[in-house]
Amino acid sequence: MEAIKRIRREKFFLIGSPAIVWQCLFFFLPILLMILSSVVDSTTSTFTLENFSASLSTTHLSIILRSLTLSLSIAVISFLLAYPLAHFIIFHAKKYKSLFLFFLIVPFWTNILLHVYAWFFVLEQEGFLNTFLLTVGAISEPIHFLNSIFAIVLMMVYCYFPFMVLPIVSSLERFDKRFIEASYDLGASRFQTLFKVTLPITMPAIRAGFFLVFIPAFGEFIIPELMGGDKHYFVGNVVSQYVLGNNTETLGSAFMILSALVLLTIGIIIYNLFNKMIKRGFR
Amino acid sequence: MKTRKTKLTNFLAILLTLFTFFILYLPIIVLVVFSFNSQRFPAPWSEFTLDWYRELFESEELWSSFFTSLFIAITSTLLSLIMGILLLFFKANGGNLKKTVPIFYSNLLIPESLFAISLLSFFTFFDISLGFTTLIIAHTVLGLGFTIPILYTRYCQLDPRLVEASLSLGATSTQTFFKVILPHMRPAILATGLLVFILSFDDFILSYFTAGTSVQTLSLYLLTMLRSGISPIVNALSAFILVFSSLLVILFFTPKIRSKVF
Repeated sequence: MEAIKRIRREKFFLIGSPAIVWQCLFFFLPILLMILSSVVDSTTSTFTLENFSASLSTTHLSIILRSLTLSLSIAVISFLLAYPLAHFIIFHAKKYKSLFLFFLIVPFWTNILLHVYAWFFVLEQEGFLNTFLLTVGAISEPIHFLNSIFAIVLMMVYCYFPFMVLPIVSSLERFDKRFIEASYDLGASRFQTLFKVTLPITMPAIRAGFFLVFIPAFGEFIIPELMGGDKHYFVGNVVSQYVLGNNTETLGSAFMILSALVLLTIGIIIYNLFNKMIKRGFR
Repeated sequence: MKTRKTKLTNFLAILLTLFTFFILYLPIIVLVVFSFNSQRFPAPWSEFTLDWYRELFESEELWSSFFTSLFIAITSTLLSLIMGILLLFFKANGGNLKKTVPIFYSNLLIPESLFAISLLSFFTFFDISLGFTTLIIAHTVLGLGFTIPILYTRYCQLDPRLVEASLSLGATSTQTFFKVILPHMRPAILATGLLVFILSFDDFILSYFTAGTSVQTLSLYLLTMLRSGISPIVNALSAFILVFSSLLVILFFTPKIRSKVF
């Protein structure tokens, strides 16, 4: 009887397994291969750490550092913009709430290239922003907005903003408004309520939004390429150039593994910081 | 005194919100407006024309890349849904997925670009030529990362009494799965499918690395056009993609559908 049950379970496991097989074959195996090719000498097929020592140059480390700074700033800036906006929409927009939410979400789930292209019109030499500033008289000659770190940051905040807004909005939507009333009744001011009640309770959503922005922003390559004018390199650009290039695949994989490890370490540290904040909030 | 201060804060909040929306929409509006301008940018507005759209819709490349994107999105959505349902079938027959589902979350733990690059070198290593197959493989991995966690959560929220009733009335576990569980899951399956379709249709990163040179998706077509510089046809193309994708997103965010996923 037990044996029959086991055979039955194995049969059903077989039926259910394609998803697991697919995930292992096309997600974990490529990453494993990347790790292997970073520590195996391509000509002699022996274990080597040469690729890693080659990828540990100051240029490479500074690129990783730049990517980290960029993605952290993108995450922080989009939080600072998203939270007040979400807070206003959920608590103060009343009957316009769903309308605001709708306009906040709809166009931003579309292709990111489209938004990059749209910003060209605003930031160009003869674009909207320069024309506006010239007409107002704030500047006397057009500013080069494109091909700068400013354009990259602006564009990335714009593209990653929805990933920050959505978790915060849905967490504020589920937020029990009696907490706020209780806080006011106990004599807290608006700011005290915000910092001691609302923010701590929605902290898990902020954490989710933070990582949804921070992780993909770390690997971003197309926005720096299109908006930075080949002047500003980040991890995504360098890895893709190495891997697509000739004879640099192993160096590319070593560099990629190295940056992924850095990202993982920083990610864990930030995750723990968030956890501390979440726990402290309820004390 | 207090109310005046509150009013002022509220006013500032409204101003800030409207300003944010202005910044969010300004580029899109400029983009769409200039797709109707008869003069090329940066010439100012001269007169309304649909010529750029006519030129765009006559280009064969647009339609072939549009249908490529459509085909890849549909195939990878179906594949990831079928595999998700099969995994639920295993669960319905006494399988335990507690340790299995987390492996599908790992897609979110590394940047999509780094995953796409690993996948590319995986395909080169095994001499798999890039094209439709590799695109579908990549997009299905993307889809599985959403279908399995969402469908699993919905499955666990089903009323267990339904299954118990079906089993105690003599149905086998397979019958129960097809006659009770699946019909109850149908809205969630459809909503998840729509989500995966949108993500795949608009995906740029995975397509960029796994498409090769022979196949072009809509995103890649936009990139080629965009690299050649500003032109009203690119505006028309962007407006076309914007409208098509927005319609899908609007469909997804109708409360009835969205509540099945989030």
